[in-house]
Amino acid sequence: MAHDQNHSQSKNQSNHSVENWLHLLEWACPPSLYEGIEGDLLEQYELDVVALGESKARRKFIWSVIKFLRPGIILRNRFTVSIISTIMIGNYFKVAGRNIRKRKFYSFINAFGLSIGLAFCMLITLYIQDEKEFDRFHENKNSIYRIEEKSFDTWQHDSADPYRQSAWIQTGLAPALKEELPEVKYATRYNSGARGIFRYEEKVFTEEIAYVDADFFKMFSFSLISGNAERIFLDKSEIVLTPAIVEKYFGDTDPIGKTIRIDINGEKSYTVSGIIEPAPANSSIHYVILIPQENRPYYDRNLANWGNYNTPTFVQLIPKADLTTFKTNLDKVVDKYMGKKLEEWRKEAVVPIPADVKMMEYFFTALPDMHLKKEISWEKVSDPQYSIILGGIALLIMLIACINYISLSLTTSASRRIEVGVRKVVGAQRNQLVYQFSFESLILAFASMVIGCVLVVLFLPAFNEFTNKGIELTSTKVIQLLSIGFILTMVVGLLAGSYPSLFLSRFKPAQVLKGGFTSRLQAGFTKPLVVLQFALSAFLIISSVMMYRQMNFITTKDLGYNKEQVLVIPTQTGWNEEGNKVIEQFRTRAGNEPAIASVTGASTGFNQGYSRWGFKIKGEQKSAYVYSIDPFYLPTLDIQLVDGRNFDAAIATDTSGIIVNEALVRDMKWTDPLNEYYNWQEDSVGLGSPIIGVVKDYHFLSLERQFEPMFLSMNTKEMGYLTTMMVRLSTTDVVSGLEKVKTLWLELYPDKPFDYTFFRRRRGETIQKLSTLDEHYGVGHRICYPYFMFRIVWFGRNQCSESHEGNWNS
Amino acid sequence: MNKDYLGEFEELVLTMVGILQEEAYGNAIVNEIKERLGRDSNLSAVHVTLYRLEDKGFVKSSMGGATNTRGGRRKRIFTITNAGLAMLRNMKEARTDLWKLVPRLNYDLL
Repeated sequence: MAHDQNHSQSKNQSNHSVENWLHLLEWACPPSLYEGIEGDLLEQYELDVVALGESKARRKFIWSVIKFLRPGIILRNRFTVSIISTIMIGNYFKVAGRNIRKRKFYSFINAFGLSIGLAFCMLITLYIQDEKEFDRFHENKNSIYRIEEKSFDTWQHDSADPYRQSAWIQTGLAPALKEELPEVKYATRYNSGARGIFRYEEKVFTEEIAYVDADFFKMFSFSLISGNAERIFLDKSEIVLTPAIVEKYFGDTDPIGKTIRIDINGEKSYTVSGIIEPAPANSSIHYVILIPQENRPYYDRNLANWGNYNTPTFVQLIPKADLTTFKTNLDKVVDKYMGKKLEEWRKEAVVPIPADVKMMEYFFTALPDMHLKKEISWEKVSDPQYSIILGGIALLIMLIACINYISLSLTTSASRRIEVGVRKVVGAQRNQLVYQFSFESLILAFASMVIGCVLVVLFLPAFNEFTNKGIELTSTKVIQLLSIGFILTMVVGLLAGSYPSLFLSRFKPAQVLKGGFTSRLQAGFTKPLVVLQFALSAFLIISSVMMYRQMNFITTKDLGYNKEQVLVIPTQTGWNEEGNKVIEQFRTRAGNEPAIASVTGASTGFNQGYSRWGFKIKGEQKSAYVYSIDPFYLPTLDIQLVDGRNFDAAIATDTSGIIVNEALVRDMKWTDPLNEYYNWQEDSVGLGSPIIGVVKDYHFLSLERQFEPMFLSMNTKEMGYLTTMMVRLSTTDVVSGLEKVKTLWLELYPDKPFDYTFFRRRRGETIQKLSTLDEHYGVGHRICYPYFMFRIVWFGRNQCSESHEGNWNS
Repeated sequence: MNKDYLGEFEELVLTMVGILQEEAYGNAIVNEIKERLGRDSNLSAVHVTLYRLEDKGFVKSSMGGATNTRGGRRKRIFTITNAGLAMLRNMKEARTDLWKLVPRLNYDLL
């Protein structure tokens, strides 16, 4: 044919740009086809140069190259590969199945190890995701903000961190903001966790109550089952319930319009005007029963007093509100309501405050960000570091699982060598063997994934408990989880399978089939793997032992008082003298009961909140925790006196005396505390309270806190009425003792619910919250590491025995 | 059995491979189509078609010797296989059979 040859000047003409385009083609094109294509392109180019001139020819050439970048060319590479291996896939399945069945135990261990790793990774992914999605379900999430205050702490001056930040705001702020700032569309206050006695017909129980404003229902996306969001709480004696409460009190009847009575600080009637879905677990806001803010005890007093910070406040801004203007406006609000007071405080401060320091400022945090804003305390606040730490642990677990997987696969390699040899002799390409072993590893990895998913479902309730979360497996979550699991499995299966498959496929048929070679077939990479594995396992074991000891320390530490067999019972009386009477009555009645050792009352139980007072003594800022108690307090809780004596009801002056702890004595630098007076009332005439006793320091706050100054008083009128009764049982038979207390209680107060907790549990709860992460970490590894240790032993054993066998039956 | 079906361009390229014999490579086919039918075809389309025909087993390919044109690149020479010839023959026969069924109307007389 006519159209080749004769154009031998070609090489000079294919200039740079032509070369560059060819490089592109070379990169995209399967190598086997490239030469033919390139030749055709160049040939056409040479012809065109003669026929059309160089520049036109080049343009045509480039265009031709671009046209070659089509799927029919680019994808050909992979296409041919899959054609070859699809033929063998049936065989791979068969061989993989046989191998798994032949080494049931080994396969099980291998798959199980990987599935534990996968399960933990999936759980941790769930955790991280839950953290990220916290509070994101609200439709108005981008325009709702939580108001926070940051003020210069004149109370306890700490030069490193002189500011106090909190989400607790003055009661008056929400109405003021809504009325005065143009940016604020809605505002609500939110106080949760109050308790009241709920009464409907003959049913009486203590329930948790949250106080909110009418805007609450318009701002947040908690769906109303019945009731009109626009109209709820127009009247301040309305109440909104969750379905669980409706079920409990009303059964199947419709509660709307019914009247119930709640005793918080005195009894009041409320009309049910709505039913609302409970908040999901990933919400920072939660509630059981909602009533209007106006019913909060001392509401009017708090509304007038801008020096009291007592309610978290949320606002919803108008669309496209300017946050800078909002901030400026907030500053104006501070000046307007707080200006005078702040100036006074500035003058009174013991430590001089620089003029450029703002005494107090408002800030705000977007609703979706509040969960991870750990500087500001909130009941469900979390540290973003937890996610990072857990993510790291997940990676580590995965890494160990992979290493295990690899080393276990390698140990069996010796017995597969004849198979490799025979396959190669029959004509298998090396890459076919690589596919085969990768394929086997993928099959096992997918089996692990299935087990892993089952483990996730099994572990989830326990995991939720450890992490204090309420993650549920909804269908979207399941799909997400499966896709995460799938990706992880693919990655692990391929990664973990790659080394063994590359290693195995390298065997030389002549060598393996002749036999007598064992040592030379050892993978060189095995030793570092084993060392790494040992190191990681040792690391996990050591850290886990440390965690365990830490937990032990918390649970067995001497708290300074005896927490065994003590029942804590709220008196359900509100904050008035009634509480004192209840305790007195109960004590008299219990006097004849051998099962009850002693009864005492206090203004607050431990870890039930506290009251802390600040005052000036001789010009110095002091503060102390205050508990009002009765004379039975110290003996009931086995708190030791190191000096002086206990209160005595018979001595009238004891109501003005106080018992202090050693920390307070240290704080005051007293050498002879019994002859001192503590002037916490800032009494300019008198000396203050005489000290009648000193108790040994005990942990009335959480364990991680230092001992801080504290005093006890019998003056319930001034220091707070007794609202918590504590009963020490004399028997170790707690069940019957509890039964006895309950009978007594119901006999004395048939219309009051009997709510109790054990002291021990109560502390346990708080401690558990403090150490959620530790606990989780510890438990995870307590499951994992015996297993990994076992694998290491198994690995060693396997390596010894495998090198002596060598049977491959097809 | 439903044998593989050939598209119009595939059939054309396959026929060209049959015509060109040992000179059947991408560029030659493009030029041959241009020469004989006056039809412009794209080099990449011809290549893709050739590979597809190869997958179907109608042609097979081998690398020819190097020449000093084409920047010294070898040609990928395609040859038609027996299956390819049979396919072409089948298609031609099928078409002829069909053609016979078209009524012979003499439009010129009208």
